[in-house]
Amino acid sequence: MKELQDLAAKLLAEKTVGLVIGWEQGPRGARPAFVADPKDAGRLIFDNRCVHNLAAYLSPRRPHLRGFGRIAVAVKGCDVRAVAGLVRESQLKREDVVLLGVRCGGVHDEPTDAGPLTAENLADRCVGCEVREPPRCDHVLGELPPAPPSRDGRRAGRIAELDALDHAARFAFWRQELSRCVRCNACRQVCPLCTCERCLADKTDPPWIESSPHTRANFAWHATRALHLAGRCVDCGECERACPAGIPLNLIGRKVAAVVERRFGYRTTDDPQVPAPIGAWKPDDGQEFIR
Amino acid sequence: MSRIGVFVCHCGENIGRTVDAAEVARASGNLPGVAHATDYKYMCSDPGQALIKQAVAEKKLDGVVVAACSPHMHEKTFRRATAGAGVNPFLCEMANIREHCSWIHENRPAATAKAIDITRSIVEKLKRNAPLEPIRIPVERRALVIGGGIAGIQAALDIADGGREVVLVEKGPSIGGHMSQLSETFPTLDCSQCILTPRMVEVYQHPRIKLLAYSEVEAVEGYIGNFNVTIRRKARGLDETKCNGCGQCQASCPQKKIPSEFDAGLGKRTAIYVPFPQAVPNIPVIDSGHCARWKGIVKGLKKFACGKCIEACGRGAITFDLEDKIVTEKVGAVVVATGFQLYEIGRDHEADGLKGYGEYGYGRIPDVIDGLQFERLASASGPTAGKLQRPSDGKEPRTIVFLQCVGSRDPAKGIEYCSKICCMYVAKHTMLYRHKVHDGRAVVFYMDIRAGGKGYEEFVRRAIEEDGAEYVRGRVSRLERDGDVVRVQGFDTLSGEPVTIDADLVVLATAMRSQPGIEALAQKLSVSYDRHGFINEAHPKLRPVETNTAGIYVAGACQAPRDIPDSVAMASAAASKVLGLFSNAELEREPNVARVDEATCAGCFHCRRVCAYGAVERKEIRDKKGNLVKVVASVNRGVCQGCGTCQATCPGKSVELEGFTDPQIYAAINAFQG
Ligand SMILES: Cc1cc2nc3c(=O)[nH]c(=O)nc-3n(C[C@H](O)[C@H](O)[C@H](O)COP(=O)(O)OP(=O)(O)OC[C@H]3O[C@@H](n4cnc5c(N)ncnc54)[C@H](O)[C@@H]3O)c2cc1C
Ligand code: SF4
Ligand code: SF4
Ligand code: SF4
Ligand code: SF4
Ligand code: SF4
Repeated sequence: MKELQDLAAKLLAEKTVGLVIGWEQGPRGARPAFVADPKDAGRLIFDNRCVHNLAAYLSPRRPHLRGFGRIAVAVKGCDVRAVAGLVRESQLKREDVVLLGVRCGGVHDEPTDAGPLTAENLADRCVGCEVREPPRCDHVLGELPPAPPSRDGRRAGRIAELDALDHAARFAFWRQELSRCVRCNACRQVCPLCTCERCLADKTDPPWIESSPHTRANFAWHATRALHLAGRCVDCGECERACPAGIPLNLIGRKVAAVVERRFGYRTTDDPQVPAPIGAWKPDDGQEFIR
Repeated sequence: MSRIGVFVCHCGENIGRTVDAAEVARASGNLPGVAHATDYKYMCSDPGQALIKQAVAEKKLDGVVVAACSPHMHEKTFRRATAGAGVNPFLCEMANIREHCSWIHENRPAATAKAIDITRSIVEKLKRNAPLEPIRIPVERRALVIGGGIAGIQAALDIADGGREVVLVEKGPSIGGHMSQLSETFPTLDCSQCILTPRMVEVYQHPRIKLLAYSEVEAVEGYIGNFNVTIRRKARGLDETKCNGCGQCQASCPQKKIPSEFDAGLGKRTAIYVPFPQAVPNIPVIDSGHCARWKGIVKGLKKFACGKCIEACGRGAITFDLEDKIVTEKVGAVVVATGFQLYEIGRDHEADGLKGYGEYGYGRIPDVIDGLQFERLASASGPTAGKLQRPSDGKEPRTIVFLQCVGSRDPAKGIEYCSKICCMYVAKHTMLYRHKVHDGRAVVFYMDIRAGGKGYEEFVRRAIEEDGAEYVRGRVSRLERDGDVVRVQGFDTLSGEPVTIDADLVVLATAMRSQPGIEALAQKLSVSYDRHGFINEAHPKLRPVETNTAGIYVAGACQAPRDIPDSVAMASAAASKVLGLFSNAELEREPNVARVDEATCAGCFHCRRVCAYGAVERKEIRDKKGNLVKVVASVNRGVCQGCGTCQATCPGKSVELEGFTDPQIYAAINAFQG
């Protein structure tokens, strides 16, 4: 923690960066912190409540942060994939950001949860994590904490259960879940990869996706979001955490990721040079019609 | 648009049998915005088109919907008719009630209801159409021909004779291709080199042909009418302008045991060599893999080995300049004529998933050869000066067994397609052999004889009836060396009995395959190819010499196995397409191309990565002071083929195809809700 605070203060004092984005203690658990003054660097923390994927603040659709010039941002190993996504899709120049990688031993589901991690309270995406040592960062900070407790992935189990249902039952499940969506767009706003200048859902001519929250429109919205994030979603869980209606959005993300992996042999990676299937055309594509 | 005319076609019985066209017209006439609706037996006929023009004039129509066949068939016809009536052609749309309806349904009332739905949907789309103007692009009236086989030679000569400049790029040291290796050619048995070499010389001397032999295409950029081609001129190791082709260097080279590619490995050549006496250009190359001095230079040795050729050359032409040179050419059209290769059964084909034919002992048994090697043995310019001598001991073979379809038509181990030429050249080989060895035995194992073509069947009959070739229907399971002979064990499927023949020589008619490396070239050109590596034509029947990329044409055996007459015909066809393109200084193109909404584009460039034609570029938007505001996608209208992939990919739908915009498609879909 001290290491992070000292480095942040140094980078700000030297004017290497104009802003450091990290986490701090809020009134209800951990929360994102924006530090522009080296004197404030002492606010920065990192512990197992720092669940937020701060890469979302690097999106060019947040112009108010642009005024700070270069930004340093604290990232967990898994958050690096979102940064890579932004670089891959020309939304961020890698040299415009300083990545402060923090060695991670897993996080809780919510920033308000506290206490040591157990097999019970560990966030699902941390199960079997392979990037506790953050890759491709400019600085890697902290001691490597012990590996998180091991257990089976909950969502994988839930997806298997849903896959086992017949079509009608599975449809009924999603109808019931998605009918609760109030179309607040929180899932989109918080997503580090939803970087469109004008989201399809906001297109009015034609109105592909109706804006009122009824089940048919909600299906259109979520099918669109699922397809747009296919092979791009980094499984940070922010959408599901942001959703006021408690819709299990990560089940969709995970399921689609599995399909993408099976069909295209692609897993979201922290290498920005590897194109994601949505934006790739290969002359030797397995499917002949597209060549 | 408020005065739309709907014209419903019966297509004779094609539509009329299942769809009540009069009812479709009646129902469409009630749609809002439709001012006129009628039906007719054949809308595409002259009277049918006249009907449209007349209605447009009389009823002051401002848009036309023709409910008939697929736009693939007649969109052009009806758009021309609409333009003829004074309305922008892009305000004419077709509703496909044939392929999408009458042909696939049986129930007349239901099919009629569906035809009404389809027509309504297109009427709604048309209401959102905008008038479009064709795109005009300047054309650089020069062509690039890739590959100097007979197909490339023919295409280059035809284009040059038509008055346009040609750059002919050949990767080998000489042009001529496989035809230069053949002895005599079916179906007339004229000497291959005698008919080919005059054409090669013509290429060399033609004032409008620039021959770049020993060169390869590195990169191709641009689009129809405007290609920029980067060409690598491989180092020959000598100064072409000084060399006069005297051949002193070849005579002096001490490396004399290198297998000659031209003689299919049966003859030998030196390290500095001209591949064959009539080569064009008649300039040697130094084979970097075998020249001692070249290898020394590459290794950085201080003292150079050899150098005999330098001494021998009276003109000081041999420089040992090892640098490849890169040149660029601007052309308006490209003809791909890179030909074929023979299935090398001796080589390991695991990489391409082929199992090979180990049981035939090719490469192991010296007297098992392939068709090209036989051509060289039979050729007067070949390693044996045309005397038939088998490779192992130089003996004249008394019995030759020919196996057809080795590798072809064999999905289990080879390739499933038919190589098309082998039936014919095997018949030719038996004749060439019997003309030289009158009492010799020529036995052919075949699956069936495919001799379609002018004079072809007669040619095969002649081989059998006049020249006494013995044809055995069946496959051969094994070839084994037994002392002096090759034992052929096969099965005669007509008599149902096994056959064993002791042959002095066995000739394998191996499959024709695409050139190695053709995929890389095709990718540079953005043309598609099938899974065997043959270049795809734009339409197998109607556009056989065009590729899916405008301005790029294909000729000869690189498109599919074919013989010389077909290759030449195709080359002339491609040349006439090129000359047609070059007949105007400007080119008109359909305006159905993509357009980016710069205000909403996020600059994520998914569209750029998925565009198979490289049509999407980056565009910087700057404010008045020149500060970069944002980077967006921008479509080059000359390159875009209107495939719509970008539109489908763009998450926020910020790129649309003119004529197929989101509002149009949305309206068309929505209209189905009734
Ligand atoms: C054994 C045998 C016997 C035959 N006998 C007859 C016969 O009697 N009658 C008949 O009609 N047909 C015959 N054929 C068929 C005939 O050889 C072909 O039809 C003809 O050669 C096809 O011409 P092409 O120009 O398309 O290809 P090719 O002759 O293969 O020429 C292609 C040329 O392109 C060059 N090239 C390849 N790749 C590149 C590249 N990337 N860049 C630049 N240059 C490149 C090659 O070096 C070559 O010079 C025979 C074929 C075989 C194998
Ligand atoms: S988990 Fe949700 S917020 Fe995170 S990348 Fe995927 S879709 Fe976006
Ligand atoms: S949902 Fe799709 S269109 Fe909307 S912001 Fe996300 S990626 Fe873009
Ligand atoms: S955050 Fe939840 S409620 Fe809001 S739009 Fe997304 S899914 Fe619907
Ligand atoms: S995909 Fe769409 S948003 Fe992305 S660069 Fe292309 S047009 Fe712009
Ligand atoms: S429509 Fe789009 S993807 Fe297709 S060629 Fe044009 S720019 Fe490329």
